[in-house]
Amino acid sequence: MAITYDIVKSVTAQLYEESLRKIPGDTKRALRSFAQRESSEVAQNTLRIMLQSAEAAERTSHFVCSDAGVPVYSIKIGTRVRFEGDIRRAIVDGFDHLVKTINPPLLAHVTNPLTLQRGYKGKDMPIVTYDLIDGADYMEITCSPKALGSGRWAALEIFSFPTLDVIEKYVLEVVLRAGSQPCPPVVIGVGIGGTFDYAAMMAKEATLRRIGEINPEPILADMEARLLKAVNQTGFGPMGTGGDTTSMAVHINYAAGHGFTPVAVCFNCWINRRTRARIFNSGEVVRFE
Amino acid sequence: MVTTHHLQFPLTRNLARSLRAGDSVYLNGVIVVTAGLPTHQRILECLDSGKALPINLKGAAMLHIGSYSREYGSKFEVLYMNPTTSTRFNSYMPRFIRAFELCAVGGKGGLDAECARAMTEVGCVYLSFLGGGCTLLSQAIRQVVSVSWNDLIPQYRLVKLSVEELGPATVGIDAHGNNVYEDLQRQARRKLPEIMDALNKARGKTVG
Repeated sequence: MAITYDIVKSVTAQLYEESLRKIPGDTKRALRSFAQRESSEVAQNTLRIMLQSAEAAERTSHFVCSDAGVPVYSIKIGTRVRFEGDIRRAIVDGFDHLVKTINPPLLAHVTNPLTLQRGYKGKDMPIVTYDLIDGADYMEITCSPKALGSGRWAALEIFSFPTLDVIEKYVLEVVLRAGSQPCPPVVIGVGIGGTFDYAAMMAKEATLRRIGEINPEPILADMEARLLKAVNQTGFGPMGTGGDTTSMAVHINYAAGHGFTPVAVCFNCWINRRTRARIFNSGEVVRFE
Repeated sequence: MVTTHHLQFPLTRNLARSLRAGDSVYLNGVIVVTAGLPTHQRILECLDSGKALPINLKGAAMLHIGSYSREYGSKFEVLYMNPTTSTRFNSYMPRFIRAFELCAVGGKGGLDAECARAMTEVGCVYLSFLGGGCTLLSQAIRQVVSVSWNDLIPQYRLVKLSVEELGPATVGIDAHGNNVYEDLQRQARRKLPEIMDALNKARGKTVG
């Protein structure tokens, strides 16, 4: 048995479509919980409307946001996986097929950065990153489409032997720069260390962690808790019109590096698009958030 | 207590001036929506050259909302719509607000201080719509009045819609210089040393 072109094409397209029509369960729970604690009436109302919007989209199988972003997949491949057919091509074809068949149709967001022309195809689209899982007989696919609204405000800076206070101050500076813009309450991903490229990937990966899951690294678990509190003292609030709820979670990943320490910060807007599946050699598909 | 208004659009000048930052608004009547930089460039070129626009924007509510329009028989239908980031249009908006005496602008994320100055002069408000509000906001569409510049991709077109109870939108900038976005940014910057102090203290407790 092997993981085939057909199954990867179909699952990657399904994950993208579903990410547009519903928000993850952990995100709904977080919105409800923050709405209860929110002290501003405007902010409470906005959080409630967010939940209503997500529920209405799910109920009617409509889109939560008109901006479908661009398709972005993070794929982890078990070392015992066997493939049959062209798997990268399957992901490209899956998106093409979705564009032709999805109802309602998608707006054209794939942008050539050199000409600013927009369409449904483009170089290196969908964006896919790959990793390995030793010993596994499945591939794990996470779909997390990205749009300008929150994508625009990610930032990376390289420090030399920074202490934690320098890193945390930088995270807050990036939050202040984003301000009301990234459709808060956001999930903030931070990547510390490694190299330039690796820090950015860690930050992105951090946004994909489920809200409420405790960081297994105690130093980071503490840092996440105090940074969340700090970010929520800035006051930008839901949709940036004021309130206590600017962020639902701060998630941090780290890697060893050299003395130069990249710190990458990125944002997921409140709808926190994320769908996942594992495809096994047997052809079985297991969905999870 | 949040004040909620159910208003007819385009707003009269008096109504626009009566709104206050933080108020909640449901829109009824006619609005114009677009989410395109090329659209703003075309409008600017019309203003510069004196060429007529395809629709009259005088006194209009011009909102940064992207929509999916398509031809349906001899007419257009709009399948859905949702706000987009307004700040990328900052450089265009002061001129548009003044030239067309817009009654309302909007989208999400606000506009800059120069736009807010133009809004005060004219008597115009900024309305913040829910990003990720596609399903709810689209339910308010009652009629597609016109779709112009349909050589552009759907979200860039200039679309005139009749809506019923579109909202709720929050007044982010009012016609009296109250700008929620500028205020929040200023307050956050002012609070930053205090927030950093609290962070440093918390760190001292948890990390040796």
